[in-house]
Amino acid sequence: MPSAVSVLKHPVVSVAAGAGAVAVHGLAACYRTATRLPVLGQPLDRGVSALSRRGDHVIAVGLEPARMLLTSVVVQIVQQVLDQLDLTALVRDRVDVNAIARDIDIDAIIARIDLIGLADTVIDGVDLPTIIRQSTNSVTAEVMTDVRTQGERADDLVSGIVDRMLGRRGDTVGPPR
Amino acid sequence: MTDLRSAGVVSRGTAAVIDLIVVLVFLGVIYAGMVLAVLAFSPRAFSFPAPSLIFSTIGIGAVATVYLAACWSISGCTAGAVAMGLRVVDRNADRLRWSTALLRAAACVLFPIGLAWVVLDSRRRSLQDLVFGSRVIYNRVGMLNS
Repeated sequence: MPSAVSVLKHPVVSVAAGAGAVAVHGLAACYRTATRLPVLGQPLDRGVSALSRRGDHVIAVGLEPARMLLTSVVVQIVQQVLDQLDLTALVRDRVDVNAIARDIDIDAIIARIDLIGLADTVIDGVDLPTIIRQSTNSVTAEVMTDVRTQGERADDLVSGIVDRMLGRRGDTVGPPR
Repeated sequence: MTDLRSAGVVSRGTAAVIDLIVVLVFLGVIYAGMVLAVLAFSPRAFSFPAPSLIFSTIGIGAVATVYLAACWSISGCTAGAVAMGLRVVDRNADRLRWSTALLRAAACVLFPIGLAWVVLDSRRRSLQDLVFGSRVIYNRVGMLNS
């Protein structure tokens, strides 16, 4: 398939372009000559000027609606294209995330963060006093339970020794725990 | 729930030691109050009060008796009993009456060695328990609530 450059360099294209240029040049020369005619030149020049102003007005008035229409069409097209694309898969396949991550200046990001304020916010959300109070109560309850249990075992030990020494059964202190 | 097992000498002795410490702290507070009162009313002639041995002994006995009687009649538990998970009750496992609590407290203060009978008694009763029909049981309700 011929490329665009080879087509442009084709002799036929060159001839056609040359003919077009000659035609345009000829028309321009004819227009300049016609505007210099004594009777016909001035009305022709005014008519062309009026046509030019009308064209400018049409362009000025019609440009904004055309631009909005074009924008909305382009937006619709882009949205349709985005809907059809799986951007996550596209990024995963086409983008080297690791390379981007390597280029990120973590220190600069951290320098922009108020770490003390962030820590204060986290601590405020955690409610440390309640946690400390609950853990302290739990530890205290466990210690008290342990002390009482040890005391009860010591009571049973002493009673057992005395019961054996006196030769009696040790089941008269009440129901077992 | 509260089981009705009678407490032994180790738990009761430990509770008694804790109660003795509490009584001594009470006496210390009372002494400090006396010192501040003397200092407030006669600062020029101030000197630390030096109560006699008889006065101190009577004071310790009185404070201990009132403290034990009040605790036993109100809740059945002194500070030592709470720490060791014990409770003083009567024959029906109810709190002691004021009069019984007061007499038992006086007996415990005047004759503390009566606690030693817990070791020998098959039902873990002290001499005061035998006289006043009381019992000292393990208080599991207090343990669960603490």
